[in-house]
Amino acid sequence: MHTPILILVLLGVMAFAFHLGRTRSLATVGGRTGVRKLHSLPAYYGFYTALWAGLPALLVAGLWVFFEGSVITSLVVEGLPAALRDQPPAQLGLLVNDITNLANGNIVSRAVDADLRAAADHMNELRTIGKMALSVVVLSIALGAGSLAWRSVGPSMRARNRVERIVNGLLIVSSLIAIFTTVGIVMSVLFESFRFFHKIPLTDFLFGLEWSPQIALRADQVGASGAFGAIPLFAGTLLISAIALFVAVPIGLMSAIYLADYAGPRLRSYAKPVLEVLAGVPTVVYGFFAALTLAPAIRGAGEAMGLTVSSESALAAGLVMGVMIIPFVSSLSDDVINAVPQSLRDASYALGATRSETIRQVILPAALPGIMGGVLLAASRAIGETMIVVMAAGLSANLTLNPLDSVTTVTVQIVTLLVGDQEFDSAKTLAAFALGLLLFIVTLGLNIVALHIVRKYREQYE
Amino acid sequence: MFKKSLIIAAASAAMVAGGAQAAAARDYISIVGSSTVYPFATVVAEQFGKTTQFKTPKIESTGSGGGLKLFCAGVGVEHPDITNASRRIKKSEQELCAKNGVTEIVEVKIGYDGIAIANSKASPQLNMSRKDLYLALAKDVPDPKGGDKLVANPYQTWKDVNASLPDTRIEVLGPPPTSGTRDAFAELVMEHGCQEFAFIKAMKKTDKKAFQAACMGIREDGAYIEAGENDNLIVQKLEANPNALGIFGFSFLDQNADKIQGSRIDGVEPTFDTIADSSYPVSRPLFFYVKKAHIGAVPGIKEYLAEFTSDKAFGGEGYLADKGLIPMPEAERGQVMYDAKALTPMGAL
Amino acid sequence: MPVESNANRRRAIDVVNTSLKKRYAREARFRRLGFGAVILGLLFVSILFFDIIGKGYTAFVQTHIELEVYFDPAVIDPEGKRDMKEIARADFRKLSRNALRSLFPEVTKRNDRRALDAMLSSGAPHQLLEMVRHDPALIGERRVIDLIADDDIDMLIKGHIDRNAPQSDRRVKDQVIAWVDELQKQGRVKEKFNTGFFVNGDSREPELAGIGGAAAGSFYTLLVTLLLSFPIGVAAAVYLEEFAPKNRWTDLIEVNINNLAAVPSIVFGLLGLAMFINLFGLPRSAPLVGGLVLTLMTLPTIIIAARAALKSVPPSIREAALGVGASKMQTVFHHVVPLAMPGMLTGTIIGMAQALGETAPLLMIGMVAFIVDIPGGPLDPSTVLPVQVYLWADSPERAFVERTSAAILILLAFLIAMNTFAVIMRRRFERRW
Repeated sequence: MHTPILILVLLGVMAFAFHLGRTRSLATVGGRTGVRKLHSLPAYYGFYTALWAGLPALLVAGLWVFFEGSVITSLVVEGLPAALRDQPPAQLGLLVNDITNLANGNIVSRAVDADLRAAADHMNELRTIGKMALSVVVLSIALGAGSLAWRSVGPSMRARNRVERIVNGLLIVSSLIAIFTTVGIVMSVLFESFRFFHKIPLTDFLFGLEWSPQIALRADQVGASGAFGAIPLFAGTLLISAIALFVAVPIGLMSAIYLADYAGPRLRSYAKPVLEVLAGVPTVVYGFFAALTLAPAIRGAGEAMGLTVSSESALAAGLVMGVMIIPFVSSLSDDVINAVPQSLRDASYALGATRSETIRQVILPAALPGIMGGVLLAASRAIGETMIVVMAAGLSANLTLNPLDSVTTVTVQIVTLLVGDQEFDSAKTLAAFALGLLLFIVTLGLNIVALHIVRKYREQYE
Repeated sequence: MFKKSLIIAAASAAMVAGGAQAAAARDYISIVGSSTVYPFATVVAEQFGKTTQFKTPKIESTGSGGGLKLFCAGVGVEHPDITNASRRIKKSEQELCAKNGVTEIVEVKIGYDGIAIANSKASPQLNMSRKDLYLALAKDVPDPKGGDKLVANPYQTWKDVNASLPDTRIEVLGPPPTSGTRDAFAELVMEHGCQEFAFIKAMKKTDKKAFQAACMGIREDGAYIEAGENDNLIVQKLEANPNALGIFGFSFLDQNADKIQGSRIDGVEPTFDTIADSSYPVSRPLFFYVKKAHIGAVPGIKEYLAEFTSDKAFGGEGYLADKGLIPMPEAERGQVMYDAKALTPMGAL
Repeated sequence: MPVESNANRRRAIDVVNTSLKKRYAREARFRRLGFGAVILGLLFVSILFFDIIGKGYTAFVQTHIELEVYFDPAVIDPEGKRDMKEIARADFRKLSRNALRSLFPEVTKRNDRRALDAMLSSGAPHQLLEMVRHDPALIGERRVIDLIADDDIDMLIKGHIDRNAPQSDRRVKDQVIAWVDELQKQGRVKEKFNTGFFVNGDSREPELAGIGGAAAGSFYTLLVTLLLSFPIGVAAAVYLEEFAPKNRWTDLIEVNINNLAAVPSIVFGLLGLAMFINLFGLPRSAPLVGGLVLTLMTLPTIIIAARAALKSVPPSIREAALGVGASKMQTVFHHVVPLAMPGMLTGTIIGMAQALGETAPLLMIGMVAFIVDIPGGPLDPSTVLPVQVYLWADSPERAFVERTSAAILILLAFLIAMNTFAVIMRRRFERRW
């Protein structure tokens, strides 16, 4: 049986177990009339039986499938003639690839001899056996565990509590994934970062005012300078993000207010999803728009006014990024504003306040923590945005506050450093990991501060 | 509702687990490497996929360094078979390869890529020497007031550099220091240009480091704008800004000849012919590297090599030339073809 | 005393009345400001769309040249065995070439002939082969067939090449333009709907390149992402919002999630490379890995939005349910979660939209690749739509510009379809407290 079909069968078994558990619980108390004697609702007995029938079997199936490939491979290798087996592991791996290709009926690169053919047949045989064994094992576990659970069904069994405990466990596991992700990220950048700090002192990196990773591309070559100061990068990132928020927060918040409190249901139902489209436009598209339409326009306008504008000004990238994050602000503030209880509005209107006064003095303060959340989310998108700045912001690390100048951002540098042609163990490549780590730490710090503020001002309506 | 999501979660978990097993077999060639070679390799791969019974190779654009890192990670199906490079493999990379068991590497040179310095058609075509370019773009230049010392680059307009050039601000869009194109530009233009000054040339013998720092350092005061690897974007930016110059691969100039023009370098215009006969001075060789251990294990590598080194591909009138690759002279091509057929591994660098 | 209080009351009303005009004016101003913001937002959407549609709509048609092709048995199947394997190896280029050359018998010089041959796409012979494969009885027949034109001819017909520019600056020479004009006069140049664009995989010839492969890749990637991130995201949000004790651990998780939402997507790419590819040994360029990376990336977005939605369900609902004897779990799953569903769906849409348009993390896990064969499952090497846009945008051929825009249009169409679906779902549940 193929694995997907097996899983479908297993789902069928679970549904059946649900039915059986439910029926049995009713049967033990003499049908629907005795349902009050049960500890839990009949459906909980069904869930209980189904979970026992399904979860252990799925777990076993998952582990089986995970290890099946390597077990079969080692068995096949074991069965090879000694002459073929005694090869360096890498060569053996390629041989196994050929055998697998042959077994799958794909094109094979070497001449197919009897040994190879035999090994492939052996592999196919093992696979068939494995598939059958898996089906048998999984289904018997499902039936066994399911029937055990089914037998324990009775009026005094606390089925609801048991089901809820399992569900609670699943919920906890889901929320822990965030922790695992963070640990994973830290682990994957930490090692390379250490190697970087081995080459470049930490203080130079953190407090250096100059970013210019122009060190040698080759051993026999000398670059202009090898300054790895991260400050200009962060300054550039913040400048562009600030411009973006300057665009997005007023427009996003005002449109959220208008849609929530003024607009008729028709306008609301059309305008909101249309605005959400802005969030989904691929950032590559914004990047082209910024680089090719907006940046030349700003440059032209600036020169008409007698200003020197870089062709990759921070303004162009920031404005377009602002447009991109409007829906992050508006959509989330809209939800929060809608969540302010109608009673607060009614109370304010009853006191004679106009709508705008109600909004400014009642709803906004009540919704502030949520709005802050939306703005923070938008800000984090702006800081982490890559493609727009790659295309529109350029690579020169100027330490400036002038939005008409060209700046670079941390994400741009990570991309540039990682897809470059330089040697992979040079300080340049490693710097990307160090930047990733630093960016991670900085956003962590910002978020802790922001959450603290949000909590301090949070109001409860209970 | 809750049960449904539970079921979906369970099913997808099993699906993910099911994914782990399939990592074993591979029946297509896996290629990584330089974004400069990518446009050529893809054409060959497509042709190869159409005309043979093999699957079309998968080609990733990872940059030369990233490609060699993946390539040298070891022998086996999970590692790529071929890597493209816009420069030669380095000693350190070869050593890493050897450390991971990749001992026999076949080097295949496929042709040349010209590097053009171009501007919008709305402006006049420039004619400059490599010395002019050096003076316009170097970080430190010989003192214009005379004397054998270096000062921070004072030139603001092209006219400052050379009176015959127009009176416009120096503004050059070019690749970042991580790029192989930049590396080649520094070597072919900057280093050559700075040797026109006797005292710098003399430094080459006395203080090599200082010599290279003087020659290859590119100014960082805004005249040279690092514009990323997207050459199309540079072309479009040049169109929008007639005063700017851009540095990029010849194939982009070739395709956009109605919008931009290549500047004459040392009096030679970048055209197909001038690059091929190497009278245009700024061009570099392109390579790809094949893992010999994989030949005979991953299907089709030999045939791919044959396709790439055939006359109809990288020959003088082959389809790669149509895409902008500058072919090698006939004799060199014959040698490459022979080596590729014999699978001669390269020696230590 | 009553007189005085009357006077006082009158004064208060006066104050109200005199300020009323100002307050109403402010009200109107505020309202206009809000309306302006909405209009501005909608304006951005329309500018963007018009810009892209204007650039991309031409890619939906493709220039064909109508030619009478003689399926010459001497070329296709000289031995007359009708063996498909032999036929597949035949030189079909000869057929299309001969058909075109017969229209211009005066072209005899080698170079001119090459230029003439180049007017047809390198996919044209393949087109003929497919026809023969489909119907071997064609061999020996003459048929009038619309053959795909080369991208340069396509660009000329669509007006993207300036005929007035000097010849040296044009990709299409005067001679070729004359031929094209001649063909046009004979009514042989046709613009047909470009089916290939939707079903083909990637190609280096713009006239043959399609988004079929990338769309399939996007589909598998998003499927994995949706299947994992929606249930996990909702489960995590429910736990954190409804069940978690307020202690240091849950604080840590909360900070973590908020922080992950701010981590640049490229860092998730680094994680995917280190964990899924190097540690678990999953294949590079596979939609499965892309889906896993995008799951981790979109989870925080979904969790944050789902928590906000749960928070917005008034406590009275919970108290009522608990009051009639429901357990905490029953309260949450029977009452709170269904009421919070619209908000959760909003968050999921934003997360999915983000995943659909994401490029940066996929750079790190090998999905920026040239893949011709259309992937058949979540483990085949594939690319996704935005990466295809990125790759095409970087291609030197002029004809890829319109194709890039057209691919963006398709991407946006997917996005709008997803949004519409979600809006319909949301509208069925939306409620105001």
